[in-house]
Amino acid sequence: MRIRAVVGAVIASGAVILGGWEAGAQHSTTLTTQVATPGTGVTGSAAAPQTSSGSTASGTPTASAATAPGATDGTYKGSVVDTEYGTVQVSATISGGKISQVTALKLTDDGGRSVQISNRAAPILRSEVLKAQSANVDSVSGATYTTEGYLSSLQAALDSAHFG
Amino acid sequence: MVWRTHRFDSMGTVVSIMVRMGDGCDEALAEVEAVFRSLDETFSLYRDDSELSRIARHELPLTASSPTVKDAYETALTWRATTRGAFTPNRPDGVVDLNGVVKAMAIESAGRVLGAAGAVDWCVNAGGDVLYDGFSPEKRDWVTGITDPADRGSLLASVALFGQHRAAATSGFSERGDHVWLRGDSEKHFAQVTVFAPNILLADVVSTAVLAAPAGELDDLAGGHSVDVLAVFSDGGLVVTPRLRVQLAA
Repeated sequence: MRIRAVVGAVIASGAVILGGWEAGAQHSTTLTTQVATPGTGVTGSAAAPQTSSGSTASGTPTASAATAPGATDGTYKGSVVDTEYGTVQVSATISGGKISQVTALKLTDDGGRSVQISNRAAPILRSEVLKAQSANVDSVSGATYTTEGYLSSLQAALDSAHFG
Repeated sequence: MVWRTHRFDSMGTVVSIMVRMGDGCDEALAEVEAVFRSLDETFSLYRDDSELSRIARHELPLTASSPTVKDAYETALTWRATTRGAFTPNRPDGVVDLNGVVKAMAIESAGRVLGAAGAVDWCVNAGGDVLYDGFSPEKRDWVTGITDPADRGSLLASVALFGQHRAAATSGFSERGDHVWLRGDSEKHFAQVTVFAPNILLADVVSTAVLAAPAGELDDLAGGHSVDVLAVFSDGGLVVTPRLRVQLAA
């Protein structure tokens, strides 16, 4: 149960999985979580009550998730959890009472789409994009301008400022 | 080590460079210009005497072209497969056009020249496609402004470089004509697509491919590569990938 809670907590910490998943669609890639080290204030006894009380998928992604005091070394499979990114299942390898590795077993939804889904583009309102201050911009990216078009471009204005 | 700026015309557009360098800066900048000039002389379809123009006129078979052209064509074909044809060197009229990879190749080479000459902090902007290294003159992460396709005189957003990204490329229909040709099954969904990527070729290819492919393929194109995308629909609506969304609100 404790191990399941730990794995669940890791699953809940979607950022751990998805943030480390920039490489793309290799389903066998091994992901490594941050392992709590002695002296950082995360001790086995402090972690125990949290991990033992957590249910499978509701654990919080705290540092205690990286410790599994009293756990037997080995690799444990977590349950399949639905997240906003799709269905996720991981296995955790416990070594010396700590999670040493988390491997993604399943990062695919039923439609067969891969974890690419984590990079899905979504609408954003113009008001959500902070007003761009051209004074703070170093360079301008836009549709390619012609030599003539350059003269009236923002990049030209910026260059004039830079070129003094 | 002082900041230097330099700009010159090439490939039908303007190249703007900022670089912090000591000795040898003039020589390095001259070499950068030579890199652009040489690639333009080989690949430009606006020059009658370029190798690509001769290939287009069937005076020279592609199979008998120079290694530089063959390499560029191979690169473009690889990306054509990766993007399921959304990015392609083959124009609808049958002409081989390697413009889509050549500007990125030139920018990449320019960066190598500057790096080899000892520059650590620099920015090369060729017609709105930008590659950066190091830090800005203000000693912070380089900040890219993204133009508003509806009003090229204003910015839609500004983003400091984040993650592994070193390059920004924008494709659109607004300037230099309809340089992008839509894939057969696609309609004109986006007015402009900006891509941040770890290298300029990837940024350039994906921005072109997203613009040319059906809108539904954005996620496959963005998800299959380590890129972030801000795309502007023809009606002005915006979509953005999650990591870039965080940066835009930062």
